Amino acid sequence: MAEGTLAKLARIRGGELSAAENVASALERIQELDRRINSFIELNPNALAEAEAVDRKIKRGERVGKLAGLTIGIKSNINVAGLRATCASRTLQNYVSPYDAEVIKRIRAEDGIIIGMNNMDEFACGSSGETSAFGPTDNPAAPGHIPGGSSSGGAAAIAARLCDLCLGTDTGGSIRNPASHCGIVGLKPTYGLVPRQGLIDLGMSLDQIGPLSADVAGTALLLETIAGRSDNECIMLKVDRVNYSELLREKSLKGMRIGISEKFSELTDPAIMKVIDGQIEKLRDLGAEIVEVDLPNLERGLSAYYLIVSVEFFSGTRKFDGRKYGRRIEDVCGEEVLRRILRGRYISQKEYRGKFYQRALQVRTLVRRELLAAFERVDVIVGPTVPKLPHRLGTKITPMEMYAYDYLTVPANLAGICAGVVNAGRVNGIPVGLQVQGRVLGEPEVLRVMQALEAAG
Amino acid sequence: MNIKIGFEVHQQIATRRKMYCNCPTNYQDVPPNTNVCPICTGMPGAKPLPPNQRAVEAAVEIALMLGCRVYTNQTIYIQRKHYDYPDLPSGYQRTSLPLAGGGSLLGVRIREIHLEEDPGQYDPLGGNVDYNRSGIPLVEIVTEPDMKSPEEARNFLRALVRVLEYTGKVRPEAGGAMRADVNISLEGGGRVEVKNVNSIKGAYRALRYEVIRQREKLKRGLGVERETRAFLESQMVTVPMRVKETEEDYRYIPDPDIFPLILDEGWVEKIRERMAEPPHLRESRLISEYKITRAAAEVIVSERELADLYEAVAREVDPKLVAIWFRTRLKKVLNYMKLRAADIKFTPAQLAGLLRMVRDRQLTPEQGELVLRELAKHPAEPEKIIARLGLFPIKREELLPIIARVIEENQKAVEDYRSGKEEAINFLTGKVLQLTGRRADPREITRLLIEKIGKK
Repeated sequence: MAEGTLAKLARIRGGELSAAENVASALERIQELDRRINSFIELNPNALAEAEAVDRKIKRGERVGKLAGLTIGIKSNINVAGLRATCASRTLQNYVSPYDAEVIKRIRAEDGIIIGMNNMDEFACGSSGETSAFGPTDNPAAPGHIPGGSSSGGAAAIAARLCDLCLGTDTGGSIRNPASHCGIVGLKPTYGLVPRQGLIDLGMSLDQIGPLSADVAGTALLLETIAGRSDNECIMLKVDRVNYSELLREKSLKGMRIGISEKFSELTDPAIMKVIDGQIEKLRDLGAEIVEVDLPNLERGLSAYYLIVSVEFFSGTRKFDGRKYGRRIEDVCGEEVLRRILRGRYISQKEYRGKFYQRALQVRTLVRRELLAAFERVDVIVGPTVPKLPHRLGTKITPMEMYAYDYLTVPANLAGICAGVVNAGRVNGIPVGLQVQGRVLGEPEVLRVMQALEAAG
Repeated sequence: MNIKIGFEVHQQIATRRKMYCNCPTNYQDVPPNTNVCPICTGMPGAKPLPPNQRAVEAAVEIALMLGCRVYTNQTIYIQRKHYDYPDLPSGYQRTSLPLAGGGSLLGVRIREIHLEEDPGQYDPLGGNVDYNRSGIPLVEIVTEPDMKSPEEARNFLRALVRVLEYTGKVRPEAGGAMRADVNISLEGGGRVEVKNVNSIKGAYRALRYEVIRQREKLKRGLGVERETRAFLESQMVTVPMRVKETEEDYRYIPDPDIFPLILDEGWVEKIRERMAEPPHLRESRLISEYKITRAAAEVIVSERELADLYEAVAREVDPKLVAIWFRTRLKKVLNYMKLRAADIKFTPAQLAGLLRMVRDRQLTPEQGELVLRELAKHPAEPEKIIARLGLFPIKREELLPIIARVIEENQKAVEDYRSGKEEAINFLTGKVLQLTGRRADPREITRLLIEKIGKK
């Protein structure tokens, strides 16, 4: 087992490992391994210089931030000034960000080092990492298989230990799905907890930026850096910063009520369910009370999700009209992006509004109510993350087969709640992640359960 | 013939900051694309800031002044209106659902009031876009088709602009800040919408043109189809717009990045309490309260500051006298000096002092006007101005010899007057006035002249 995030951070802060050395070794590993994995689209040419600045601070005994010298990969749909936010698309292939997203400002303020821009499914439209205009990403934890998506590059980079932490985004599972397939930790925060200023749109009412890391401590650390109120944005919860790392000191699960649902096994590959059930037993052993919850409409979320996301994506992509950023999106994008734009354009027509979009919003309300009702009885709900194992890279699958990867992850986005993923074991050598869903702002409980399982090994 | 005319008027709200970002709004004073940021240029990933409260407040105030009911304590979504044009950086314009409605002005019903944002400015010749204007708040006022002639429509727009100016929260109309879409239909024909109208005069001309065009078509039995036309200001005609532009579906969706507006009832009531009295209501009140003529009241309420000044002075001096002065001499002085009422520097007390002297015949009205002119240029106590100009009324002992001298020196005119040429007396009065250095009251001179000439 490699060194944990906190241990490495302690070595950097203590002057044992310089930030520059940390960056240099990350760059070396990327140089060596990423030609095959393809998890980065672009590297930050200033990373070493930024690390040296952190080292100087440490040497002078100045206060350094909580991410001091850690290397952080950023999904390519987040603006980092001076780097390209391509969204892994031809339409933005030459778009150099003129500004930092709010989350990037927060990372810089804590002395994190942006190492580069991660590969992803084009415009976050995909669950396999194969729709990138910059080529597919391999799964380092199960070579030859898809890493999952759409935060494919970030998850793969963490799995291959190319950097310490990554920022992904999750609209319908895009952090959790690749975290599960790559055997790492990831968390989709409560909607409105993390500022989206600077995040390029997929489905604005669903998008959240969140952390990917090798361990739960890393996820907590990055989450507490980026989360919390911002007055520069409308749709934000008015919550102050929370120190999640501090809360993780509570190791016991005694008194915690953990929900499970039969619905999960109905929708999921039995081999995966077997691994998940093993973890649930472990939770019981750790002192948690396991409670059955009823989620009768869970699977209805998927079609509602794809209608909502398509309409919002259609709207959000109207600015890529070919006048300002390279070529018009419809002229150069991949199949899945085009499919969503056309679907969004079709169902948002005046005559279909009541038929599709409004109906989808009603289903969303239904799913949300159902989940929120369940959370009146339990603190978290655990289950599988993805109902099936990742396919081999390059396998032709239908759009519906691709969308089916998302059955278990979209409900959290529709409900606006939080959900994290921690590795649960393997099936045929392929990692399988356990999903822990929490209530609105239930990140502390979710992280606590994830950490307990991680510690139990 | 039955004509129906309605408007959608767009007016920029004069906020310091744009609607969804902190860029300044003085777009006409700065080089192109300097008042811009990632938000108002729609850069990838840029999210709107919370809506500018001052713009919301201004729209509510305008709605209240137009007698609308404000839709309080309910969600008012900000929608995305999608269309593809170079001046629109995100491919959609943000426009609120109605935040008020059911008002009226000059008998024209106000259907609804919206908040919108201005797009940038596209120059098709150069192919350039200037985003300085992008994101400036707009209020949209939609009327019912209640106007029956271009003249009535013009009067309505004038009254509307006056209401908007009264709020003090819109950009002056002179800056081209008002834009209107005009709807017009004649009995038996389809409804025609005319876009690109940028002034009251433009709206009037477009309507006149449309009345003639549609009437001719109907007369010849050709029918008028429902369509959207563009007004060409330079040629004073309207031309059809491409079908594509008129059949657009804007695919409205609530903007997922902005919380819907909820207007608190208490807050709206506070705005109502402190808002200015709307000019059309103020006009009626002035007439009944001060017993002045409608003609005078109309002039007085033409500018809010002028009406404020009137009421302050009318409390001190006879309101009717003040009204006459406002309508005639003050208006004349302001026009001559190209001053707006807002630019007036003298105090109501100074003007009241002057009018009191006129009332007490310490000054002739003509002298009063001279003092007023001075007052407008270099505000001071009227007594000081009078002393500076040497304007004290002439004494009778001094006036009589001058009259005698003028009669003596202008015997022909005297004879003319006696033989029935009335206007000869004006000539003589003028002569006397000149010799007194304009210090005597011409009416008094005439009276004395007739007395003398008659005596002989």
